[in-house]
Amino acid sequence: MTAPAASDLAGFDLSSIPERIQSEVQRAIARSIKGVEYISTSGPSLGSTPKDVLSARGTMNLYHYRPVVDEIYRVPILIVMATTNRGYILDMVPGQSFIEFLLKRGYDVYMLDWTAPKPEEKSLRMEDYVLDFIPDCVRRVQQDSGESDVTVIGYCFGGVLSLLYGSIFADGPMKNLICFTTPVDFREMKLFQNFSDRRYFDVDHLVDSIGNVPPEMILSSFEMLRPASRAAGQVQLWENIWNDEFVKSYRMFDRWATDTLPLAGEYFRTITKDLMWDNKLFNDTMSVGGRKADIANIKVPMLHAVAEHDHIVPYEAAKPLIAKIGSADKEEVILKGGHVSLVAGPNAVRRLWPKLDSWLCERST
Amino acid sequence: MTDKSNDPVALWQNMIGEMEKGFNAFANQAMASPQFSKVVNQVGGATAGAQKQLGELMEKYLLTMNLPSRAQMVGMAERLQSIEGQLNEIKSMLHQIQGNNANTGSGNPATPRPPRTKRPPPAGGEQK
Repeated sequence: MTAPAASDLAGFDLSSIPERIQSEVQRAIARSIKGVEYISTSGPSLGSTPKDVLSARGTMNLYHYRPVVDEIYRVPILIVMATTNRGYILDMVPGQSFIEFLLKRGYDVYMLDWTAPKPEEKSLRMEDYVLDFIPDCVRRVQQDSGESDVTVIGYCFGGVLSLLYGSIFADGPMKNLICFTTPVDFREMKLFQNFSDRRYFDVDHLVDSIGNVPPEMILSSFEMLRPASRAAGQVQLWENIWNDEFVKSYRMFDRWATDTLPLAGEYFRTITKDLMWDNKLFNDTMSVGGRKADIANIKVPMLHAVAEHDHIVPYEAAKPLIAKIGSADKEEVILKGGHVSLVAGPNAVRRLWPKLDSWLCERST
Repeated sequence: MTDKSNDPVALWQNMIGEMEKGFNAFANQAMASPQFSKVVNQVGGATAGAQKQLGELMEKYLLTMNLPSRAQMVGMAERLQSIEGQLNEIKSMLHQIQGNNANTGSGNPATPRPPRTKRPPPAGGEQK
């Protein structure tokens, strides 16, 4: 056997060391300069696709995005955002905006987005969201577009609200339903289940004491699912702070993730009791304002996109939706990625968005 | 080119990634226990009570100092928002009226809405 050459010692290519040292020194200098820049500047401007506010009522906001092409599909889209987060996750920056993608592909896009409910809005109930806000927005979309049919897209808990709406208003006007990472079996959200264990979690005391559930509490409960990720993310940021693209992306997602909304107290009480504790959506016993909300009533074409590595809505929690929904035309797509990277960022640009377009274009005429 | 498996920077990044995964898995296991839920909710319950009392105290303090309370500021914000809402309604109505005028050929032409006649691309066809 021959001895290894000095340059291959212990598997290291020794000849590349000076080059590596030079590159690391350059990066260290760039880190110092960019680090100061990072602190002294704000992040990219988010959610800047031109839009008009069609309606703003308390926590509810309805936007219409201005079409950018000469010819659009007949059926408009209403996006229902999750009540815990801001809608600009779907409209980050040009080139990474789901809204921009839809507009360029010829869809007419509306969004039901939420602002923080004010202290007086603590009494908003599930009924207000499902029987008032969504139907009101659908009506306004119909009026504004002049079309009777509407495609509804719900993200995360926006998907749950869309399911409740669709099951109660099963006779229309919803023409298609698309859900992104929408939980149905809340038993499978194991950590959230444990956090809200009915033996120890007194939701009545919480809501009666503080009214709306503060955003810090919502954010902590999300962050507790991956407690080391924030610190690891900051280490990664420091390592890559010389890389403008990485920093831009980090700032966009970090800003969005920490921009959590409070939840209306009564609404949170219902989510805890009916969904987390009694799992009523899965058990087909859910009702809203006395109206039965059985997802088997939904018969319109349906697409459910779920993420393989979703730590917020695990696949097991989302999986039963496709089996339970009453539609004949239904499809589930499992894509690589997590809860957020499914809908936004480079993975979404390559995977979810083209898939959604190819599914929806045929059903939008 | 440097072999990734021997690159100290790549090894460091990999180690951070593995540590993150390991710590998350460990913490998730710990957080899945009923004891964790009990402790967290006891602390949370006490904090919620304290927060409420502190809020009431602050309200009284601000009143004594002749400063607007949070409730009053929220009331003002509410009024501003309602004015904004009404302006939006008016704007939307104006857009509609302008659109109607444009359709009937009278008045100023509004920004035309594109026709809703788009068809899906032929199978296998790529959209621009």
